[in-house]
Amino acid sequence: MRRVLAIARNTLREVARERVALVLAIFGLGIVVASQALSPLALGEGRKVVVDFGLAGSTLVSILLAIVLGSSLLHKEIERKTVYAILAKPVRREEFLAGKFLGLWAATAALLLGMTAILLAVVALSYGAAPWGVLGAVSLSLLELGIVTAIVVLFSAFTTPVLTAFFALAAAAAGHFAEDLLYFVGRGAPGVAKAATEGVYWILPHLELYNARALAVHNLPIGGERMAFALCYGLLYIGAVLALAGTIFRHREFR
Amino acid sequence: MSRERDESRRVPGWAPRVAGNLLQEVDPLPRVLLDGVTKVYRDPMTLRPAVAVEGLSLELRPAEIFGLLGPNGAGKTSTIKMILGLTRPTRGTIRLQGRDPRDPRSRARLGYLPENPSFYDHLVADEVLGLMADLFGIDPQLGRRRAEELLRRLGLAGHTKKALRKFSKGMTQRLGLCQALLNEPKVLILDEPMSGLDPIGRAEVKRILREERARGTTVLMSSHVLAEIETLCDRVAIMDRGRVLRMGAVESLLQSEALEWEIVTDAISPTRAALLGSRGHRVEGGGTRWLIRVSDAAAVQEVLRDLTQEGVTIRAVEPRRESLEEFFMRALASDGGPG
Repeated sequence: MRRVLAIARNTLREVARERVALVLAIFGLGIVVASQALSPLALGEGRKVVVDFGLAGSTLVSILLAIVLGSSLLHKEIERKTVYAILAKPVRREEFLAGKFLGLWAATAALLLGMTAILLAVVALSYGAAPWGVLGAVSLSLLELGIVTAIVVLFSAFTTPVLTAFFALAAAAAGHFAEDLLYFVGRGAPGVAKAATEGVYWILPHLELYNARALAVHNLPIGGERMAFALCYGLLYIGAVLALAGTIFRHREFR
Repeated sequence: MSRERDESRRVPGWAPRVAGNLLQEVDPLPRVLLDGVTKVYRDPMTLRPAVAVEGLSLELRPAEIFGLLGPNGAGKTSTIKMILGLTRPTRGTIRLQGRDPRDPRSRARLGYLPENPSFYDHLVADEVLGLMADLFGIDPQLGRRRAEELLRRLGLAGHTKKALRKFSKGMTQRLGLCQALLNEPKVLILDEPMSGLDPIGRAEVKRILREERARGTTVLMSSHVLAEIETLCDRVAIMDRGRVLRMGAVESLLQSEALEWEIVTDAISPTRAALLGSRGHRVEGGGTRWLIRVSDAAAVQEVLRDLTQEGVTIRAVEPRRESLEEFFMRALASDGGPG
């Protein structure tokens, strides 16, 4: 575990020293400007608009950052050959991947939490009370971020940065429409197509499970059952994706 | 080419050899073993095979420095990558400290310096060594102590807080050596370790490698600098197009008989120089320093007698033996390579 944490810490440091602080600052500023600009237009619903806009924006920025940074993170290591010095140590390739995953997840999660803190502060300053109800939605977003990060690590284990970014973006977008696939299955499509659709339904991450922004905006609670299911499903999905990534990476040749 | 004095071999003399013999008794398994190893790469588009290494068998023992020589594309780096477990042999067996190289335990006491090493630009030297110590599972305090000691030994003590992006090539090479030595390795694999180093740096690295050998470490190094290999290595393998052309102790590979004799003199007359030339000897120089190369040992006495009778002062008479570079070129030429 020490080796995994060492690699994770190094990845976190790499991300933090390069880009995240800048993105965080820019987004924070964006929220402040947006809150001031939108509140007079929202007919008394300015607070809800800012919370909704802030939550959606922070989740989207974090996920995009995970995809952009993650897609090149492994490739950069291989291209610069830094990975050679690491894998010549008593480190399993799976440990290396797990460290990369944890570091990237921690970095993007820190960004999301930072943006949430700014959002809370801005709303509290503008409307008198912080919207603490968003924390439940943010914790689900953190799990969604973990799933997307794991998918990024999976593709980066065997393909190019551009393809990794493309596949991860496609999976993240399609994951929000996974439930809609059931509609097509239920409509009684022909046998093979039905089986394929059902297969895709099970393979895609069910990311809509992690979208609780509507509840947060209206200050409604997220049920404990949903939270528990989302946690179990998220951790299992991440574990399965990383196991597959580890198997692929273990057989990879470094020419 | 003048052969540099190898202090660790000559000053303590018997010490490394005795240490090596004792280690072999205690540690009977070869530190690195390659048995009939072949590596074939396939072009990802055409699937056409390209043989990188063919039927390589090798056994590395404790307390020796082994050199891999060869032109670009000879298979040196491919061999090293297989030993490290970065690639798998297509055929044959590799054992690193008795284990499959893909078993992380085989790399616990392995030090590796890649060719043109590159480390994380966002870190400083201290942080790189801290990360490597964690990966080796070294106690943090001990890791810090060793890192400080190595940075001092390799002349980087004043640069511990400097970002690696500001490091010169030579400094990065030294840092690479620091991280390779951090775990007090039993096997040290160095891909072109002299690359990017100035003469002082090269001398320092050679001193460190000799110290490592005296400690019982097995060193496997590849290099293009044949003079370094000749003065440093106990055994060498000359590779070309994936095959080993020659392998053995440096002394036994090189022709023990003198290739020619070099006679250094003060001024000689133009007539004498012309006469020597007409007898097939090569005469170089001018003024007060001349060099006469005599290829036939039997003719040396005759040349010396003539010069002495003429009153020419003889400064030196030295046999010139085959250098590793000449042997290397000869081996490649006999294999149909350059030469």
